[in-house]
Amino acid sequence: MSTTVTQDMSFLHLITSASLLVQLVMLILVMISFFSWWYIFRKLFVIRSEIKKTDDFEDIFWRGVDLNAFHQRITSSRYQSGCLERIFAAGFGEFTKHPSGSDLEAVMESTRRAMRATYQREMDYLESHLSFLATVGSVSPYIGLLGTVWGIMNSFRSLSSVTQATIAHVAPGIAEALIATAMGLFAAIPAVVAYNRYASSTDQLATRFESFMEELSNVLQRRAAE
Amino acid sequence: MNVSVQRNHPHEEPKSLTAGMLAGLVHLLFVALLVFGLHWKDHPPEGMVVDIWTELPKPIQEPVKAPPPSPPKQPEPQPTPPKPESPKPEPTKPEPPKPEPVKAEPPKPLPQKAAVTPPVKKPDIAMKQKPDPEEQKKKEQEKIKEQERLKEIEKQKELEKKKEQEKQKELEKQKELAKQKELEKQKEIEKQRELEKQKELARQKELQLQKEREQTAQRQREQEVKAQREAEAQRAAQQAAARNQVTNEISKYKALILAKIKSRIVMPPDLPGNPVVEFNVTLLPGGDILDVRLSKSSGHAVFDSAVERAIHLSKPLPLPPDPALFNEFRNLNITVHYRE
Repeated sequence: MSTTVTQDMSFLHLITSASLLVQLVMLILVMISFFSWWYIFRKLFVIRSEIKKTDDFEDIFWRGVDLNAFHQRITSSRYQSGCLERIFAAGFGEFTKHPSGSDLEAVMESTRRAMRATYQREMDYLESHLSFLATVGSVSPYIGLLGTVWGIMNSFRSLSSVTQATIAHVAPGIAEALIATAMGLFAAIPAVVAYNRYASSTDQLATRFESFMEELSNVLQRRAAE
Repeated sequence: MNVSVQRNHPHEEPKSLTAGMLAGLVHLLFVALLVFGLHWKDHPPEGMVVDIWTELPKPIQEPVKAPPPSPPKQPEPQPTPPKPESPKPEPTKPEPPKPEPVKAEPPKPLPQKAAVTPPVKKPDIAMKQKPDPEEQKKKEQEKIKEQERLKEIEKQKELEKKKEQEKQKELEKQKELAKQKELEKQKEIEKQRELEKQKELARQKELQLQKEREQTAQRQREQEVKAQREAEAQRAAQQAAARNQVTNEISKYKALILAKIKSRIVMPPDLPGNPVVEFNVTLLPGGDILDVRLSKSSGHAVFDSAVERAIHLSKPLPLPPDPALFNEFRNLNITVHYRE
């Protein structure tokens, strides 16, 4: 053991011996990475449950159900309801508020507006934090690169005081600097993948919501015309 | 009612805590990967070293434990035999020499007794001639006593002789030792002298070598100095030639510039005397004129402005193609005489 000339290159030693800025960059990256992964999992659960709820809702709705009873059930259990249920509740609620003798065009217009407003809110909720993931995906490699460049600069600067420059003088500094890049990439890659996946899922959900809104307005118009 | 309910509707975050825990788990995994991944690369050399050390100590430790008891055992028997052996020869050796002198002494007296007895017999014959038995007995007793005395004296003499011989032998030995010592001393002295001679020879050789080296170095220096002087002379000649060329070039182009300017001057007619105007012209590389300043007026504004216009008209001014020479033309002093 005493004869080992090689320096301690363990991960912890590399981090603790890094310069202050590199350590700061690493800390920032760890926090960014943690939050990005947190949001990745949160959005995963949210979008997955939302897709399931939408499937269930469409399944029940198109099976042919009494709309008034359905609406009452949804408003009573609104905390477990999905986005599409809330959109339906907003539209149907707005539709039923109008007296039966009023102008059909105006009623349909206000119903569509109500649904549109709820749809916007729900899409905002679904797409929340996706921009954070996009930012992490694009920025964290640069933050890691900054730490790496700084660490390599320092390690080369320390070479100037050495008469015989060997790779052993630079290697630890470069290794500890490259950890920053590794952390940046570790934060960025999942964030980019998750962002792309969640963006496409929310787009799919949005098209489903929009088509349902159109279909519901048709259903309501027919019902009002009867 | 409905609207207000929908606006306040909280978007329930499902499993927000589990998401956080999963994120932490992912990071723990990543850190573990980094730690063990980097440790793995670091370990193989250590492992190799450790293996070598763990194998070696066993054979080393066993002999280390064994030797401490064994050496004492070995020394103990070793010293004991010499002790009995060494004392035995010491007493035995002194014993044999002692008997030898003892043996040597008895044979010598024996022949002496034989030699002594015959003279005793002669008196016996003489005594027979005189018929006194008592006197004869007394005489015989006296003779015996005298013989005994003689024997003792002879023994003493012999002992003295032996002592003297031993002393002489010792002296001879001492002399021989002294001679040997003297011979050794002489030999040593001779050796020292030879060494000194060799050293002196070596010194002389070194001195000669140094002298030769110095001579060669001096020759080399002289040659170098000569070469340097020649090179310097050549350089000086080249530089002088270059300078001459440069100065020729500069003066040539200055003359060209002046000629060009003069060719563009529209001389005002009928000025009295020979007025002289001086301009300080700043040039750009390429011959363009950056600035024209009147440094010494001729006293006639017409002439001054005519020359200034001519300077501006004559751009670009002719400049040598070598850009290194441009510094000579950066600030030009142009003097124009009204009448040449």
